[in-house]
Amino acid sequence: MKGSAIKYERDNIDTDVILPGPYLKIHDYNELAKHAMEGIDKDFHKKVKPGDFIVAGRNFGCGSSREHAPIALSYSGIKAVVAISFARIFYRNAVDGAFLLPIEVEEDAYKDISEGDQLDIETSKNEIRNLTKNKTYKMKPFPELIGKIISAGGLFNYKP
Amino acid sequence: MTKTLIEKIWDAHTVVDEGNGRSLLYVDRHMVHEVTSPQAFDGLRANKRKVRRTDLTFATMDHNVPTSNRSLPIVDQTSAMQVKALERNCKEFGIELFDINSPNQGIVHVIGPELGITLPGSTIVCGDSHTSTHGAFGALAFGIGTSDVEHVLATQCIWMEKPKTFEIRVEGKRRNSHAITAKDIILSIIKRIGTAGGTGTAFEYRGEAVSELSMEQRMTICNMSIEGGARAGLVAPDEKTFDYLRGRRYIPENYDSLVEDWKENLKTDGNARFDKSFTLHVDDIVPQVSWGTNPAMTIDVTGRIPFPDEYAKGNVEEEKAAAKALQYMDLKPGTLVTEIELNRVFIGSCTNSRLEDLTEAAKVVKGKKISQKIRAMVVPGSQRVKKQAEDLGLDKIFKDAGFEWRESGCSMCLGMNPDILSAGERCASTSNRNFEGRQGAGGRTHLVSPVMAAAAAIKGHFVDVRELDLN
Repeated sequence: MKGSAIKYERDNIDTDVILPGPYLKIHDYNELAKHAMEGIDKDFHKKVKPGDFIVAGRNFGCGSSREHAPIALSYSGIKAVVAISFARIFYRNAVDGAFLLPIEVEEDAYKDISEGDQLDIETSKNEIRNLTKNKTYKMKPFPELIGKIISAGGLFNYKP
Repeated sequence: MTKTLIEKIWDAHTVVDEGNGRSLLYVDRHMVHEVTSPQAFDGLRANKRKVRRTDLTFATMDHNVPTSNRSLPIVDQTSAMQVKALERNCKEFGIELFDINSPNQGIVHVIGPELGITLPGSTIVCGDSHTSTHGAFGALAFGIGTSDVEHVLATQCIWMEKPKTFEIRVEGKRRNSHAITAKDIILSIIKRIGTAGGTGTAFEYRGEAVSELSMEQRMTICNMSIEGGARAGLVAPDEKTFDYLRGRRYIPENYDSLVEDWKENLKTDGNARFDKSFTLHVDDIVPQVSWGTNPAMTIDVTGRIPFPDEYAKGNVEEEKAAAKALQYMDLKPGTLVTEIELNRVFIGSCTNSRLEDLTEAAKVVKGKKISQKIRAMVVPGSQRVKKQAEDLGLDKIFKDAGFEWRESGCSMCLGMNPDILSAGERCASTSNRNFEGRQGAGGRTHLVSPVMAAAAAIKGHFVDVRELDLN
């Protein structure tokens, strides 16, 4: 899975900035996508390309349980968020709805990746290759159940 | 084997234990609201599924409903559509709905306990992160997203990884329970453990200061567990819990025999071990005011706005975050908290909109006028709270002082209805999140207790509520 990094150098990126409250009334997912990250980055929808990754710090997606947050990112074209850690409900929503992959990395990897770096994420090897910098980082393996739900294509396709 | 209360409730609800701590849990109560449910109902329809337990599922509309005159139609068309969709879905699937004109309408986390839907020892889910509120009754209550809402509607079960247990002890006895509130206790906890301090855990709040809290105060504390990163937060039930629920509309017929069982079983065993523990003494807590853009960025009302390096204590990322927060909040380090001038005051939200919150705030307001530069509103948590407050004459106290007295709903906590801040406005708010833009794009939120908000409305700036003359 290849794409370029859109980097936010901050922790605690909350779901209110990923998708501000007033847009929770929108049902059309492509419309939601136009407002993704609007709380901290008004130009996000202009710069994001299909297949891109977001790279951020700790506790990504904290706050509200709105599934609209991973949906808006997903319909913007984001395939994965690479962060040091995630808030639980965002992580769960991303996986359950098969909207995007929440990928946890060590702080060194987060610091090393720059805006625009070309990344190749290979979940089968638990590896992220930085093609721009010619480096490889480890990603934390998905917990077993999460891995199964991801492989199945979301919660409703998962059969225990 | 000795167990914590969290583990006891978990084990009692495990349908399938997959090993490695993963379980399929049975859900006793499912609360539904208009914003996180439409796609879930669409999913049920698309797959020709029914709601498995309509008798355990309750719905209301709270997030986007206007708090102005309810006899008028909803002006915002997208809100009106969401409200209509919930009405249609509840009718089609046979779910009990407390609609906009119901005397039981209100914020989902206010009406659950109020109607006796929330019960000790139960598992509760809702498509809202503040579901942890119900933990005040000794329930294990989780916020979930829309996919899980659909899953629970269809199966009455949810896949969960077992949380680690985190004991939060608050020792001592409050000397001034009017000024040092449950809000100050929970903000003090989050300030110390951080917004991700509880990641992967469920909190059990314990200690003398917790036992001493009323049910409504316990709800304030459990409500903000999610702001400390926890999956859930609870307090073991006691006589206060059982008395609060007795006689409420939806409690089971065999309530008294259930109470006997709960007394016996719903407590952490004497020598049970928690995975983590944190202790705070209530004597170290003074009224709190948040200064930044997450709830851990909070200081004592007696303090000054911190310098980023002073706040970050050597953590480079935290220092950057603090500098960004100060810029967004337009605050200068070194400023006394009590010098911060305000434009707006909001008393409401699932954190602080219950009768006791309003009663305590009214004590501060009574016989006074709000500052001329302040626009202030009180939004009761439910229609029942509103009626009880009006029966006590609280509406008159607030209105005489210059507050707006509004209809129940989430209102200015999350800026989904017309109650929002304009860019640059600064608000003392009794809600739970001070995230950027949370109360309206460019709005600046300071989290405080209801009495602190009321005092700020009178003075036009923050004031230490302990120094206010109530006579």
